[in-house]
Amino acid sequence: MDVRKEFETIVKTAEKLGTDASKFMDKRIASIIISGDRVIGLNNVPGVNLNHKQIEHGVEVNMEITEGVEVPFPIHVCTGYIEKKGYQRIIFNIRIKKGAKVKFTAHCVFPQAEEFTHDATSNVVVEEGAIMEYNDEHYHSEFGTISLKTITNAVVEKNGVYKNTFHLTKTRVGKMNIVMNLDLREGAVGELVSKVKASKDDSVNINEIIHLNGERARGLAKTVVVGLDESKVNVLNEAYGNAPYSRAHISCEEITKGENVIVSTTPVLKISNDLAELTHEASIGRVSQKQLETLMAKGLTDEEATELIIKGLLL
Amino acid sequence: MLEINNVSYKTQEKQILKDITMKFLPGSRYAVIGTNGAGKSTIGYIIMGLDGYKPTFGKVILDGKDITNLTITERAKLGITLMWQEPARFDGMTVENYLTLGGKLPLQKSELMEALEFVGLEPNIYMKRFVDKTLSGGERKRIELASIILIKPKYAVLDEPDSGIDLMSLDIINDVVNYIARYGGTPIIITHREEMAYNTDYGYLICSGSILLHGKIDDVIKAFRSSCEVCTHPNIPTPEELK
Repeated sequence: MDVRKEFETIVKTAEKLGTDASKFMDKRIASIIISGDRVIGLNNVPGVNLNHKQIEHGVEVNMEITEGVEVPFPIHVCTGYIEKKGYQRIIFNIRIKKGAKVKFTAHCVFPQAEEFTHDATSNVVVEEGAIMEYNDEHYHSEFGTISLKTITNAVVEKNGVYKNTFHLTKTRVGKMNIVMNLDLREGAVGELVSKVKASKDDSVNINEIIHLNGERARGLAKTVVVGLDESKVNVLNEAYGNAPYSRAHISCEEITKGENVIVSTTPVLKISNDLAELTHEASIGRVSQKQLETLMAKGLTDEEATELIIKGLLL
Repeated sequence: MLEINNVSYKTQEKQILKDITMKFLPGSRYAVIGTNGAGKSTIGYIIMGLDGYKPTFGKVILDGKDITNLTITERAKLGITLMWQEPARFDGMTVENYLTLGGKLPLQKSELMEALEFVGLEPNIYMKRFVDKTLSGGERKRIELASIILIKPKYAVLDEPDSGIDLMSLDIINDVVNYIARYGGTPIIITHREEMAYNTDYGYLICSGSILLHGKIDDVIKAFRSSCEVCTHPNIPTPEELK
């Protein structure tokens, strides 16, 4: 397939996720489009430095935001794979320099993949006082045979802010293993939010870890998973309070529907400094009966009400 | 007409309703009044057919048809709805989405705006808000009242609509009750406050799962005031009172 067609296929799929494809052509907006092991689109803007190199089965991208720069538009990152079989390895090295402020809108689109593994590692450094938001949405094929492995290691330095959202709610998952590891230094704020809908025989493993390593660091790890049919879901959320006056909250909500669903959630809280404060909340179960009955009393069926409630939870 | 015929209901621990018979006529406004724990809400749940609230004896009849075994959805489609004392909250669901039931109700935006204005909520502010914990109890109830205006049910059971809201909102509740009656619907207010019952036509006075009195609302309120508000043995009616 030529580059143009690859570009069109990936962008059209990204459009299904609600992205505005014109953003990839807009020269004011920094963007990078990866297809397989090649970069097929790249745009840099002042204050943003995206560069890349080809690696075995994939691409390594360095992204650096210049000190003090506030990037006016979200940087668009699109990673795609349009073949049916294969392996893709992606490495993102992201550094947000002191005082900079940036948002990323990321899409991973694998619309036709059958036997495919996407293996991604993100190494993130948010320097002192910088703010980074990374919103990642996935679109997989409906075969349920994709294997997704992602690891994010983020260090947030003094008074920095890092927010990461991950959504895989519109298609089958396949097999998914995601690990997000946050190292929060003095006064840093870190937020991890993952929302996933697993159906049929999908398998989901999520591990969010917050290390409160600096005084007054604050962290939140929130996971919402809907497990349907015979899917298997395993969530392990961890928080470690290692510094005084640091606080973290971990929350896991798992909604089940289907007699053969297997769902588990494990919160781990550990304090090595007695001035740290950690809290958690977790719930597993069917959609709330009161919510269901409220919508049914307005005329929706059980199925319609469940669907509407789940849609809201995964928003 | 909606009827409850000789309905009894008991849980494993307690007899909640004892051989209750009620009739609700189209276009009239009703109050089901009694002290806390009298079994008033259970009547509402049995009318709506909530899970676990099937009468142990007796029937619920709508326009001559036995609906005791119908599901909540089936009853709703026949025109019955219920507003809970504490309405459920929904993460990630906007007011607009809630009122249109995720687009299932073919409503114009102007209709939504009018309904929100009717209940004293500024549409431009509230349409995009979420029906979650960020709303106060009063705001959540007003949204529920707006939903009732839009659904236009034949029979609307309002369980303690005034609980947890300010005095000004009482007028809004009364306006909604009158609106339902004006289009020929039947509002059924479940309450333990006589102020709420004033704006109805007929009433049922409930004590310990039994009907002590029914009839014109003035008479029922009078009895509630003289018997229940000063009662030294709430929900333990004497044989004379039951007569």
